[in-house]
Amino acid sequence: MNAPSPAIEVENLVAGYGNRRILHDVTLRVGSGEIMIIMGGSGSGKSTLLRNLLGLDRPSSGTIRLLGRDTGRLNAAERLELQRNIGVSFQGGALLSSLTVGENVALPLREHARLADETIGVMVRVKLEVVNLGGFEHMMPAQLSGGMVKRAALARALAMDPKLLFFDEPSAGLDPVVSSELDDLILKLRDALGMTVVVVTHELESAFKIADRITVLDHGKVLISGTVDDVRNADSERVQDLLHRRSRPVHLSADDYMRRLAGE
Amino acid sequence: MQQLASGIGRAATAVVEEVGYYVALIVESTFWLFFGMARGQPVRLAAIVAQMREAGVAAVPIVFMLSFAIGVMLAIQGIHTLRQYGAETQVVLGIALSVTREFGPLITGVLVAGRSGSALAARIGSMQVNQEIDALRVMGINPVRYLASPAVIALVVMMPLLTLFADLTALFGGAVFCSLELGMSQFAFWDEALSLITVDDVAQGLVKSVVFGLIVAVVGIANGFGVSGGAEGVGRATTRAVVLSISYLVLADMLFTYFLNR
Amino acid sequence: MSYKVTTDSGYAIVHLSGDIDLSCSPEARKLILERLAAGKHTLVDLSGVTYIDSSGIASLVEGYQTARKKNLQFGLIAVSEAAMSVLELARLDKVFPIHASVADRVK
Repeated sequence: MNAPSPAIEVENLVAGYGNRRILHDVTLRVGSGEIMIIMGGSGSGKSTLLRNLLGLDRPSSGTIRLLGRDTGRLNAAERLELQRNIGVSFQGGALLSSLTVGENVALPLREHARLADETIGVMVRVKLEVVNLGGFEHMMPAQLSGGMVKRAALARALAMDPKLLFFDEPSAGLDPVVSSELDDLILKLRDALGMTVVVVTHELESAFKIADRITVLDHGKVLISGTVDDVRNADSERVQDLLHRRSRPVHLSADDYMRRLAGE
Repeated sequence: MQQLASGIGRAATAVVEEVGYYVALIVESTFWLFFGMARGQPVRLAAIVAQMREAGVAAVPIVFMLSFAIGVMLAIQGIHTLRQYGAETQVVLGIALSVTREFGPLITGVLVAGRSGSALAARIGSMQVNQEIDALRVMGINPVRYLASPAVIALVVMMPLLTLFADLTALFGGAVFCSLELGMSQFAFWDEALSLITVDDVAQGLVKSVVFGLIVAVVGIANGFGVSGGAEGVGRATTRAVVLSISYLVLADMLFTYFLNR
Repeated sequence: MSYKVTTDSGYAIVHLSGDIDLSCSPEARKLILERLAAGKHTLVDLSGVTYIDSSGIASLVEGYQTARKKNLQFGLIAVSEAAMSVLELARLDKVFPIHASVADRVK
């Protein structure tokens, strides 16, 4: 994959809520067919970055290009066309609780594609088989375990065979075996379908296993963006802190501390 | 004093903002109804029917019970009051007019606000909390089109139908009590009631009920979409939706009654 | 997507090539189901397929299912690498009868 054409280009993105700025000047490229992991602790701005990439929040300034389209300059029809090529698996699954698992996976197909009902049925079952949920079509989301919900959400994200897949915290709340299975699945999907995958996570192990490249965010800035080795060998102390799960050193004078405890 | 003034100012701004949001929601829901098809995002008939069943058909038993009781109550009060003038038989006029012009629409509106307004706020609110709304948006499914439009249409259609049903049931309640208390035959009651009620009386009630349907739907939906702060937020929004929609309902009723009877 | 239908050794052969995605898989589905409806043993040649999405795969599954109901033969011929990886992902490579060529199949 030499110099792949970019699937995502973010330039000088500034974003936040109200007066609070969360992302400062973020620039980021994800090549087509690449698996990019966006890492960072809580409060690093990774969720805000994801929301901006998905078009759920509007940036204050800067541009976001997905699959070559500037998301700030799309009309409704163009936006819809772009959204058909993007799949998103949310952290909590976000399956519609009033629909069965199968209906959830079928939802984007029914809404956006003109296909025979039989075809949609087969497609849904194929997707569920791909994520190892064959036979769970008629269950309600509330009846599924955490890992099953994530896989069902992935099946729904894959329903339209997207070119670009976003995955928010795939391993959060899962046991190590299940989360490792999900990692394998992400790799398989990329290899078979040539998808570009963006995974937002704070799990190091999974990040190193599946990433082509890693972007580390800290306090709303890109600390480093590079290959797995680049990140491993980074000089930055903060990156190493994150990698080795070192807590941030607390610099504190005894006097200040005493005063704080005394509530002065 | 200044603090009070600025407080009132802020509250007024908030109300205007909220009402503006309601109006925007009505406009957008209507937009999808008429232009959704051309945009490749039609409002699904199945979704409208499901909402109609939930908000309308399922409310029939409780509407029946309450409006029957209202009819009986009006008869008791009417007979009690009119007896002082020896004019008990005039009770039919009182029941017929107050039911069709006021009690039918109002009791139905309050009931539907309690049942469907809260249900809408709770359903959409929990979808908001679980990121289901975000999921719809990234799938290119407009949440207003998918969730709001069917509910608005369903309530605007079902509210007048339920009101008509409530009118008839309340009159039936009145008829039952009058026949027991005054020995008036059912036939005589209905004959007199129907000759007294004008098309205008019923129409006034029905026009109001359409507006009530709109209020209940929009306030419920708006509060649902506005939820933040987890399960507790959903609970707050649900309560708020019911209290607000009943308040707006009574307010709208007063305005209507004033302007329609000048 | 482009297609062509030929006949060889008693089989109707549907040659599909190019990208088979949501926009054209209904057409592919129709082609396959029509042959089967006419009572023909059917093979689908995927040698020219550069991309196939799950709606395309679903059409093949429907074809196979229909063939089995009607006691007709159905199979895939000369599956391209792109199509194979998608079949493997859905674990369908073990399900469909797959052959390198029509001659191979006839043997």
